[in-house]
Amino acid sequence: MTRMKYLRRAALLGLAGIIAALALVACSSDDGDDGAMVQGDTLAEIADRDELNCGVKQTQALFGLKTGDGDPEGFDIEFCKAIAAAVLNDAGKVNYVDASDASIRFNLLADKEIDVLIRTTTITSSRDSDLKVDFAQTTFYTGQGFAVHAGSDYNSTFDMNDNPTICVQTGTTTEQNLADHFLELGFDFEALGGSDAETLDAFTSGRCDVWTADQSNLASSISNLPNPGDFRILGQLISKEPLAPGVRDYDSDFKDLVNWIVHGLIAAEEAGVTQGNVAAMAANPPNTTIARLLGVSFGGGEIANHGFGSDSTPIDPQFIQRAIAAVGNYGEIYERTVGDAVPRACSLNALWSEDKRDCPPGTGGILYALPYR
Amino acid sequence: MANPPVYEPVPLIYRESIRRFFFQGAFVAFVVLVLAFVLVRINIADFTLGFLNDPAGFQLSNQWLTDIDGSIESRWTVYFGAVWSSLRVVLVCIAASTVIGVVVGVARLSTNWVISRLAMLFVELFRNTPFYVQIIIWYAIITFGLPQIDDAIGIIDSFFISNRGIAIPWTVPNSGLWDLGDWLVGVWVALLIALGAAAMALRARRHRAERATGKPQYANRWAFGLFAVGALAGYLLLGGPVSMDRPFIGDNDYIEGMVIRPEFASLVFGLTIYTAAFNAEIVRASIQALPRGQTEAANAVGLSTYQRLTLIILPQALRQMIPSITNQYLNVWKNSSVAFAVLYADLFAVAQIFNNKVGRALEMFIVIIITYMLVSLIISAVMNILNRRVAAAER
Repeated sequence: MTRMKYLRRAALLGLAGIIAALALVACSSDDGDDGAMVQGDTLAEIADRDELNCGVKQTQALFGLKTGDGDPEGFDIEFCKAIAAAVLNDAGKVNYVDASDASIRFNLLADKEIDVLIRTTTITSSRDSDLKVDFAQTTFYTGQGFAVHAGSDYNSTFDMNDNPTICVQTGTTTEQNLADHFLELGFDFEALGGSDAETLDAFTSGRCDVWTADQSNLASSISNLPNPGDFRILGQLISKEPLAPGVRDYDSDFKDLVNWIVHGLIAAEEAGVTQGNVAAMAANPPNTTIARLLGVSFGGGEIANHGFGSDSTPIDPQFIQRAIAAVGNYGEIYERTVGDAVPRACSLNALWSEDKRDCPPGTGGILYALPYR
Repeated sequence: MANPPVYEPVPLIYRESIRRFFFQGAFVAFVVLVLAFVLVRINIADFTLGFLNDPAGFQLSNQWLTDIDGSIESRWTVYFGAVWSSLRVVLVCIAASTVIGVVVGVARLSTNWVISRLAMLFVELFRNTPFYVQIIIWYAIITFGLPQIDDAIGIIDSFFISNRGIAIPWTVPNSGLWDLGDWLVGVWVALLIALGAAAMALRARRHRAERATGKPQYANRWAFGLFAVGALAGYLLLGGPVSMDRPFIGDNDYIEGMVIRPEFASLVFGLTIYTAAFNAEIVRASIQALPRGQTEAANAVGLSTYQRLTLIILPQALRQMIPSITNQYLNVWKNSSVAFAVLYADLFAVAQIFNNKVGRALEMFIVIIITYMLVSLIISAVMNILNRRVAAAER
């Protein structure tokens, strides 16, 4: 009799355990939703910390590559420095956080491990809407491009009508873009899909006639080879990959600042302000445009107002001056980092005002700084 | 009168049955919790395989006998094309690794010092280094070591070797005398299958006769003769259903013939060699497990070394081998999933590409797991039938 009682009690215990477990699951599924959205204050956090946490790639030559113990170097890194110089008045006050792993880069941002993500990241509508990320002004326009062997007859995909073998870096939409493009052309091709390193090897060995991936990626991989001169990157792009800094959602003050730093560096190039002459220009601005950009007075009048420096954006109007003094204007950054591997003339990353008469049809710069006033 | 002893009730936690019940209950609760958590997290209502009906949108590489245009065909079609790519690798590897395994396994037991040491070197080298590393090395050797297509090594204008692959002459269907079009090949293949069955039946009959009468009946020679004469007669009678087509070198690739691509070659070669090293050990161990008396008895009745091996030793060793070899065959199938490393589009690589595009990891992994399990179960089933036949025949 007692045995039965014990058994019944134990059975009840087990049942209670199951019910408790179920209840736990049911409850846990409710949380995780976002609470009320509160405006972030990244700018104040950076100032308190006296250091910018910049999420960068450490594995891609030209854009963000870490060699040895030093800080990473590359195009993206220069923008971290520019932001640090503008906000903290010291381009060295950057803590470079490794965001090389593409699968965690947005989590680093959401978890406040980093203040800004500058890591060859493409703006897409789904990223902007689904992830807790906002994108600032594009720093580098690229797209899916093609590399061929130096002796190849191919100058664009329009020449590839003899069933070429094409190595394609699989992963995102590269193989689909390729297939769509050749379907439109009506050409056959043999695709060989694989990861970065394996497709690069297959291409350099001559197994493939053509290698396709993001053009910035092609350029950095080929620049790392012992014999970069044996390969040629075609100018043609078959997809849009605008690379831009990412900031956290719901922090428009900080996003504005990053935006206008990028625009400011482009505006400096448009106006001819360089790292070398920025101090002289600030002391004696040749025109009101430059005076406003640099946040100085023109001809002894009032300090030109470009909006920043008010209570809502607690930064002084001279922030662009400091950024230019630290890293130079956009053109100087470009030439110093990626210029040798990815010629700028006639590419999307040239200024809109460049002389396009020598550019092939359909190409030419589109960089256009918004006005400071 | 003596009082009956009074037993204190055993405290609940010391009762074996209670404890068991409690722990089992806790375990069930844990399993239910995990399952419920997974179900809640993955949102089972969202589960769908519909995306597999949409066009794949990319080209399936390394096709053979199929011509799937991934831009138009559905993901299912491309997936099954890739399953065929995986199966092709595995079928070749299973056959080749078995043959090499038996040869190397027997060689290891050879009394010839050089042969047995070479066999040992082979086994230890390929068994003790990672398979993944091996195939990457094979692929690098093929792509970097062999000449470019323009400088391909040609052998009597029919065979070419370069880092685009090995091109060999291959059959193309003819319409022959009777103008049957491609069907003619089908007729001939059907004839070959019928001839094969007839040859097997003839062989079995002559074997029976040999056992009954004790007179040699040359069963294998008769069977092979019947097949060869029948096949040749059929070929001539049909007016040549197939002809050989020699490859030649075009702009940037081979044209016609059959091309064994570097991706396929390195995967098959690597997987075969790696598995053969294990198979050789299984063969050696199975032979050594036989009583020494078997060898001595075979020697005593005057059998040659070859006869001793094929008539006495290997048939008995086979019984020991099959369960272990079955594991190796399953490993071949599962190991083929690293194909991506040498740019070979197997089912796993293709599924990963789908996954990247549509982000339906759960659905895709369920499809992948079912595919691997199905084929594994088929391999096991076939090997079990073989095992039963061998075991029954030998006892």
